[in-house]
Amino acid sequence: MIIPIRCFTCGALIADKWEEYARRVRQGEEPKAILDSMGLKRYCCRRMLLSHTDLIDDILPFSQKIRKEEEVF
Amino acid sequence: MNVKIIRLEGNEFRFILEGVDVSVANALRRVMLAEVPSMAIDEVIIIENTSPVFDEMLAHRLGLIPLVTDLESYVLPEECDCKGEGCIKCTLTLTLEKEAEEEGVIVYSSDLQSQDPVVRPVSDKIPIAKMARGQRIVLEAHAKLGKGKVHAKWQPVSTCAYKYMPILEINQEKCLRCGDCVSFCPKKVLAIEGEKLVVKNIFDCSLCKSCEESCRFDAIKVSWDDKSFIFNVESTGALPPSDIVRVAINILLRKLSDLEEGLSIAVKEEAH
Ligand SMILES: [Zn+2]
Ligand SMILES: [Zn+2]
Repeated sequence: MIIPIRCFTCGALIADKWEEYARRVRQGEEPKAILDSMGLKRYCCRRMLLSHTDLIDDILPFSQKIRKEEEVF
Repeated sequence: MNVKIIRLEGNEFRFILEGVDVSVANALRRVMLAEVPSMAIDEVIIIENTSPVFDEMLAHRLGLIPLVTDLESYVLPEECDCKGEGCIKCTLTLTLEKEAEEEGVIVYSSDLQSQDPVVRPVSDKIPIAKMARGQRIVLEAHAKLGKGKVHAKWQPVSTCAYKYMPILEINQEKCLRCGDCVSFCPKKVLAIEGEKLVVKNIFDCSLCKSCEESCRFDAIKVSWDDKSFIFNVESTGALPPSDIVRVAINILLRKLSDLEEGLSIAVKEEAH
C-alpha cells in the first residue's frame, strides 16, 4: 500500500529512498543502477523497493468519498 | 586483543577484531543487536486521523522510524526514578499535526515536531501517510529508550555480522596465470597483475572456495584464521556505528561485573 519504513529482513531504513527511486525509474533509469547508486547492497533491501507497488494512490479517492458522506449525514 | 579499522564511513563500520575466540566475537555481536538501547516511538495518542492509513498502521509506521538517540540525556524507563510511568528523563513527546489542503498530500517524518531538537527522525524524507484533500492527522507520540530484545524497532543496527579472516595462499610456482580462479570468484577477490596472480581485496572473500576448486594445478589454497574476525556493523542512523560497538563493550563489562558481584555474595554466604 505505502512503502514500508524498514526492510523486512535486516531492518535498514528504506522508506526515505522510495520517492527518489520511483522518480528515477519513471525517467527510464535502470533499477539496478539506481539501487547501486543509493547504496543498497543487500538483496533483502533491494527487493523492498524493486517489488513495491504504491497502491495508496488508488485507495485515496475512496477514503475521500467516505469522508464526504460522513459530512452529509 | 587488537582492533584494526577497515572502514568507518557514515553508518557503516568495518573492522578486524584480532586475537579473540568466536565466543567473544559472538557475545559482542549479540549485545549490539539486543542490548544496546536506542530511541523509538512506543506510544501514540491519535486525536484525529481521517487518512486512509488506519490508526494502528500509522502507529506501527511511527514506531519503526529510527530516531537520532542521545544516550547521555535519557534513561531506560525501567531504570528511571518514575518506575516506567513516564517523565522527562525517560520519555520524549513528539507531535504531528497536518491537514491536506490539496489532493495527495504526503505526511513526512519532517512533520513530526520533537520537544528535544537532538532527538529527531534520522531522515526527513520518510513518508508516513498520504492524504486526500481535507483529511487530517493530529497525534501525539511518546518516544522511549528500549532494547532490541524487546522489539526490533529498538535495534540500533541493521546488519551486525562477522566472518573469519580469510587466508589465501597462492603458490606462484604452480600457478600458470590461466585466470580461471579470477573468473570463478563471485566476489572478485583475485586479479592477474602483470605476470602474477594477486589477492586484491581479501576482505570481500566469502570463503566459498570457488577459486580452489577451479584451479587445475592446485596452486591456490583457501583457509581462515579462527582467532581473527571481520566485523561489519551498519547503524540504522540512531547512533554512530563506532558508538554502538563502544556501548556494547561497556554493557558486556557491566554484565560481567554484575556476575562477579553475584559470585562473591554467593561465596560469602556459603562460608557462613
Ligand atoms: Zn535489508
Ligand atoms: Zn521516567
